[in-house]
Amino acid sequence: MGAAGVGGAVLLGGCGSSSSSSSSAASTSRPGINKESGQLAILEWDGYQAFGTPTNKKAGGLVAGADYTKKFGANGITYSLIVNDSEALNKVRSGQQFDIIHPCIENLQDYVNDGLVQPWDTSLLPSFQNLNPALVRGGQLNGQQYFIPWDWGYGSVIYRTDKVDPADAKGWELFWNPKYKDRISMWNGNTTNFEIAALKLGYGGKAMDHLTDDQLTNAKNALMEQYPLNKFLWSSEYTDLQPALQNGDIWIAYSWQDQWVYAKAKGIPMAYMEPSQGRLGWYCGFMLGKDTKNYYHAHDYVESYINHKSCLSLTNYFYYGSADATIKPSEISDQEVAKSLDIGNPNVLSSANVHLQSWEPNEAAVQQAWEEVTASGG
Amino acid sequence: MNAATGRLGKAILGSYFGLMIIFLYVPLVVLVVFAFNNAYIPTLPLSGFTTRWFHAAFANTDLTGALKRSAWLALLNGVAATILGLLAAIAITGRKLFLRSVWTTLLLLPLVVPYIVLAIGMVIVIHQLGFQASLTAVLAGHIVISLPYAILVIVPRLRTLDASIVEAARDLGAGTFSAFMLVTLPLLVPALISSVLICFTISFDEFAIASFLAPPDAPTYPVFLYSGTRTPALEPQVIALGAIVITLSIVLVVGAEVSRRMLEHRLAT
Amino acid sequence: MSSERAAAPPRRRLPRPRSGRGLLMVPPVLVVLAVLVAPIVLIALYSVDVKTNLPFTPTKFTWSMWRDFLPPSQGKYPNPFWHRFEVSMVITVIVSLVAVTAAYPLAYFLAFVPRRSRYTLLLLMLAPFFTSYLLRVIAWKIMLSNSGVINTALWDLHLRAHGNGIPWLIYSKFSVGLVLFYSWVPFVAVPIFVLLDNLDTSLLEAAQDLGANRFVTFLRVTLPLSVPGVIAGFVFVLIPTTGEFITPLLVGGPDSQMFGNSIQSFFQDTPNWNYGAVLALWLVAVVFVMLLVFGRFLSTDLQEANT
Repeated sequence: MGAAGVGGAVLLGGCGSSSSSSSSAASTSRPGINKESGQLAILEWDGYQAFGTPTNKKAGGLVAGADYTKKFGANGITYSLIVNDSEALNKVRSGQQFDIIHPCIENLQDYVNDGLVQPWDTSLLPSFQNLNPALVRGGQLNGQQYFIPWDWGYGSVIYRTDKVDPADAKGWELFWNPKYKDRISMWNGNTTNFEIAALKLGYGGKAMDHLTDDQLTNAKNALMEQYPLNKFLWSSEYTDLQPALQNGDIWIAYSWQDQWVYAKAKGIPMAYMEPSQGRLGWYCGFMLGKDTKNYYHAHDYVESYINHKSCLSLTNYFYYGSADATIKPSEISDQEVAKSLDIGNPNVLSSANVHLQSWEPNEAAVQQAWEEVTASGG
Repeated sequence: MNAATGRLGKAILGSYFGLMIIFLYVPLVVLVVFAFNNAYIPTLPLSGFTTRWFHAAFANTDLTGALKRSAWLALLNGVAATILGLLAAIAITGRKLFLRSVWTTLLLLPLVVPYIVLAIGMVIVIHQLGFQASLTAVLAGHIVISLPYAILVIVPRLRTLDASIVEAARDLGAGTFSAFMLVTLPLLVPALISSVLICFTISFDEFAIASFLAPPDAPTYPVFLYSGTRTPALEPQVIALGAIVITLSIVLVVGAEVSRRMLEHRLAT
Repeated sequence: MSSERAAAPPRRRLPRPRSGRGLLMVPPVLVVLAVLVAPIVLIALYSVDVKTNLPFTPTKFTWSMWRDFLPPSQGKYPNPFWHRFEVSMVITVIVSLVAVTAAYPLAYFLAFVPRRSRYTLLLLMLAPFFTSYLLRVIAWKIMLSNSGVINTALWDLHLRAHGNGIPWLIYSKFSVGLVLFYSWVPFVAVPIFVLLDNLDTSLLEAAQDLGANRFVTFLRVTLPLSVPGVIAGFVFVLIPTTGEFITPLLVGGPDSQMFGNSIQSFFQDTPNWNYGAVLALWLVAVVFVMLLVFGRFLSTDLQEANT
């Protein structure tokens, strides 16, 4: 990784041979944008709905998508909400059709290898050249740009500093502390929980996505031990997790950094842990459905998300990092938060303290093991 | 009635029944109350009266789209299941039927198969055949689960129809088909309407099959409802519309039963 | 024509056997075969790995997934899904028993107390049952939630410290049991009511003429005679609740998910449909066995309830 070779990477990723070949194929086989129905079915995380759609109408909200809805209206977009990446992947695998999918990088190979997606035509995306080359490179497979990176961030433990003893809050093992039974909420996050267990067991960031059978069994047993300590597993960040964190039902939870920022704004004493074993990192982006009938609309939609003001809005609203490499620190509203999260610098995803969630070869076994963990309750 | 309960027994049983009625209706009343509550989250104390959630709900095209879709699907289901149920009922009530109990068991089988199993079974079938998730698949699933109810409503009515009326029509020269169309069918109308209404309700409210088989850009109303419970911005609209649906269904159930009895009373005299 | 008939001997014609009538069975049967039976057959094939949904994966007939699931499961005792099945059945049976017990007095009341308004009261009791199931569960979620109606009422009345919700009120076995009970109680009362309503009250009077008081009459005459209705009611709630997953999904917690939830999340969150098919087929088998055991009570009562 690293910022070296920026020029070469941008050329390869952005304007190389892939786009010219796909655009010549495109012009002969695709109907023009006016012939497309404009009905986009998008598999998306809650909160990322385009500005102008029913759940994102208030001023001051996420601006992303505003250019698209201004041009085409908001009525043609239907969102299916992602609970976790495994569920999203299996939805698409089982035959549900989407025009755009917003998975995280660890699933890139699954989508491509199962023939569920097609590459983007980056020549149709004017803001593509602004994107961070390292992230862009990560979104390529077989020389094609299947994945347009957009958002990145951390996964870690969020906890109440006034309710949790600081001596307990040193690492991921806080989830396993029986002192806090019924005050804990892990994410219904499937493979993520196995990564957490792997870190807690000391397997390290490299091994967490490549568990051997023995390690998998140990992680599963550890999670079975942890499972009864949860009050509930949250699926929806805004309906399950946020109210529970803010009214004090839950003191310790798995969370992305936005919940820390919201709690801070409300004056609730929360900390976003830097576990001794390291935080999890992720970056997510857009993929194009194989059988989409809205090729040009989909490109316009993604362009309205990766333009500069949308990416800036992503950071200012959620305190997630964006793939836009042209954002200057001075543009971010809360400088202090930005600095403490190191939001301007996606290279942090490859640093020693952050373990990027990546593709797991034995993902099916991990998912099944997770089913066994949840079945063990009661 | 004296032999069954004394005064004390009547009082105790009556109060128990009354309490149970309250218990049954409290959640529904709560839903209606919070539909008018001026807050995003349904908690006490109440935050003042408003009708804005109703306006928001009807302005929400995703919501109204899902409602219309479900209503249309439920109507198709009601009609299709009733027609199939009528055919099955006629066959079942015939004097001779080869392997009658086998067919009857087969047709009533959907009553006992858990919907989640049927849903995933259909997902597997669709995957094997290379199809996509679609509303047609949802409709097929709904027809199959509604069919037993249609049969259970039509068969008793068909059985109790006075056979001599039909025979009289036949004696007067009507063929089998016209005897059916002119005599039996009109007398069956209340049962057919009941069947359509029951099958409509079953489909409109069905979640398991629809959640697996409805295409993502065309959710049915229950699927939309469920996703609405996961999105705080939608929750008040979901409650508002839920209040309307609940009130309407109670009115519908009561109305249907009252009119069915009135119709049958009129037709019998 | 009619003059010819008038001349013929006035006897009733026997109806010709209508062989065409049976053929009307064909369309509905085909639909059920295609949409219900075929999927179940396919589930069975998946459960023994004869077919699979995973691309580029070879398949070979094997009982290994079944051996893994059913006790004693090889090397993974106890199998977590079997454990989930046990928990689920305990919840199901308890809810069914409580529902029947609570429904009996309702049926008794309706059958014996009101003179003319019994069917109206029956309708009043049944009407919520015919409203949207999902909406009723959502309504309970609003009532039981941590900052929901019940808890905030307790806080406002100063019966509990503010912010301190009753922990077992939601996401617990209690919430799942309560909502299931709520959903089924009216329906369960129906077969009991039908039976009690058709009871010959002269039997009760005879018992009392022989010296028994009302309570003893109930115990030794009414109750035994109403047993078929009670069993039918028990089955009415037992069978659907076995496959239940919506209520635990909305108001259940880690200790109160049911077997249907395992099946649902298997197909939703993992690509391994083969193992999920084992769970699904097991559920069908369990319900089928219940039906065989209790079936005779169901069929007679269905006929009665429909007249």
